[in-house]
Amino acid sequence: MLLALPALAPQYVLHIANFVLIYTLPVIGLGFLTGFTGRVSLAQGALFGTGAYTTALLTTNFGWAPIATLVPSVLVTVAIAVALGGSAVRLAGLYFVMATIGIQQIVWIVLMNWIDLTNGPQGVRSIPPVSLGGYALETTQQFYFLALGFAVVSYVLAKRIIASRLGLYLRALSDDQLAATSVAVEVGRAKVTALALSAAWAGAGGFLYAHYVRYIHPDMFGLEPSVLFLVMSMFGGYRSIEGMILATAVLESATEYLRPFGEFRMIVYGLILLLGMMYFPKGILVLIQRKRSARANTEGAA
Amino acid sequence: MFAQIVIGGFATGCIYAVVGLGFTLVYRTLRMVNFAQGHVFMFGAFLGLVIAERVPMPAPLLLLVVGAVAFVVGMVLERVVFRRLYHNHEVFVVGSIGLGIVLMNSVRVFFPEPVPFPKVFGSNVVEFGTARVQQASLWVVGCTIALVVLLHVMFTFTRTGRALRAVAADGEIAGAVGVNVNRAIGFTFGLSFAVAAIAGVLIGPLYFVSFDMGDMVGLKAFAAAVFGGINSIPGTILGGIVIGVLENVAGGYISSAYKDLVAFVILLAMLVWRPTGLLGRETPIKV
Repeated sequence: MLLALPALAPQYVLHIANFVLIYTLPVIGLGFLTGFTGRVSLAQGALFGTGAYTTALLTTNFGWAPIATLVPSVLVTVAIAVALGGSAVRLAGLYFVMATIGIQQIVWIVLMNWIDLTNGPQGVRSIPPVSLGGYALETTQQFYFLALGFAVVSYVLAKRIIASRLGLYLRALSDDQLAATSVAVEVGRAKVTALALSAAWAGAGGFLYAHYVRYIHPDMFGLEPSVLFLVMSMFGGYRSIEGMILATAVLESATEYLRPFGEFRMIVYGLILLLGMMYFPKGILVLIQRKRSARANTEGAA
Repeated sequence: MFAQIVIGGFATGCIYAVVGLGFTLVYRTLRMVNFAQGHVFMFGAFLGLVIAERVPMPAPLLLLVVGAVAFVVGMVLERVVFRRLYHNHEVFVVGSIGLGIVLMNSVRVFFPEPVPFPKVFGSNVVEFGTARVQQASLWVVGCTIALVVLLHVMFTFTRTGRALRAVAADGEIAGAVGVNVNRAIGFTFGLSFAVAAIAGVLIGPLYFVSFDMGDMVGLKAFAAAVFGGINSIPGTILGGIVIGVLENVAGGYISSAYKDLVAFVILLAMLVWRPTGLLGRETPIKV
């Protein structure tokens, strides 16, 4: 069904679908950190931007082929995340959130002011589209297949990692750090690995994003996307990658169905965040689960 | 030149300190960070603007009125909004950011462009040796000192203040000895809104006011609170002033482009080195 979407859906639906697929990556990445180590990050937008800027600058300034910059984008993002956040990841709870806000602002300010490298507030223009074997993926339809491919690979990969020994360590860590240590989980290393993984996914997402929108600006990677990614991962419910993808789809298409609100659009968006947190602090999937368990209960009673 | 930079930084630092106090008050009581704080500061500036344009009144009265209105708004919002967010700190962080977005964009509907603020503190320039300082900056410093003294007196000598401290120390025990915990929490939010709004009025005449002015100031005030110790009131004041001065010195002597970086580098370094901040005392969970 997902493969047939380009043939059936109108252009703008496909356009939104592309953004949903792109955002799936940083959101899944955040899931490694939030759902599996209990650390909430508000720096994912900055890491996403690091990936986008790496590929944008390599292709426009140094003439690299877009596809060749995927690995550097991921590596640079991971390097920056570990350099800035490697020691902060030891902090628990709110202290880690505070640190990631610092990281977010530092990256954004550098993108904005290191004009020689990043073009500063001018942004980076005319980023080439990704081409595979001389075939440029330029149109919305063509890009859709690329984004879908990335999303599927990252979903499968994430599932594999979670099922692996490392995933087990991470879950143990988030449930009870002390108990995890006592069964020989190397807590420090596991946390940095989770941070690196979450950055890698953000970097790959940024890579896709840069080659889809083809023009990037530091403001695209401020605190706002960080909040959006965090909300997407929280609305989905912790530890459920499917839930995160669903929440990403719901929230990203919100930009579309909020359009009738005109200038009040952002007010409504803020209200969605606020009311969502007030009434569904455990994510929207809880609703479906609750219904299911309610049904199971009544059946059990009968 | 140097004196001027330091005095200018000191005044900005006072603003960070006062807005940061809002973070500290809420954090001490609930172990939560209210990220709408910066937008409350912005809201206070616009509230002052609207009131001052319609009803001319002396500056101290204006500060008092804005503080009182913000106090009530804070209490009401605690009752209808914040109370539902105490689930855990992530929920509170995102919820309060959502509230901030609502506040900012509501103001944006009425004031899409930056507007000048009436010069309620006069527009004279005072000279200290070689340094020339705007009178409004002196108001900022003076009012910050007055606010800190008032808060100190309230927390030390009044029944309400002692109740707030008791709740901050241990809500359950405080409730057991007869403190109305819910009212104390509402009061805390009222105070944190009031101080931020007053800071907004204080900064207004120095710059233009715009709907997004709370973004950066809020985050820097937060950095200041963490730097000085987010559960310590003297720490937050110290943190605000130090960050304000350092930032201005860095802007004047190193590079004006990276001026904004100072607060956040300090924030990150402080969290790694000493998460409780300069004067904070609580032991955080750290492994």
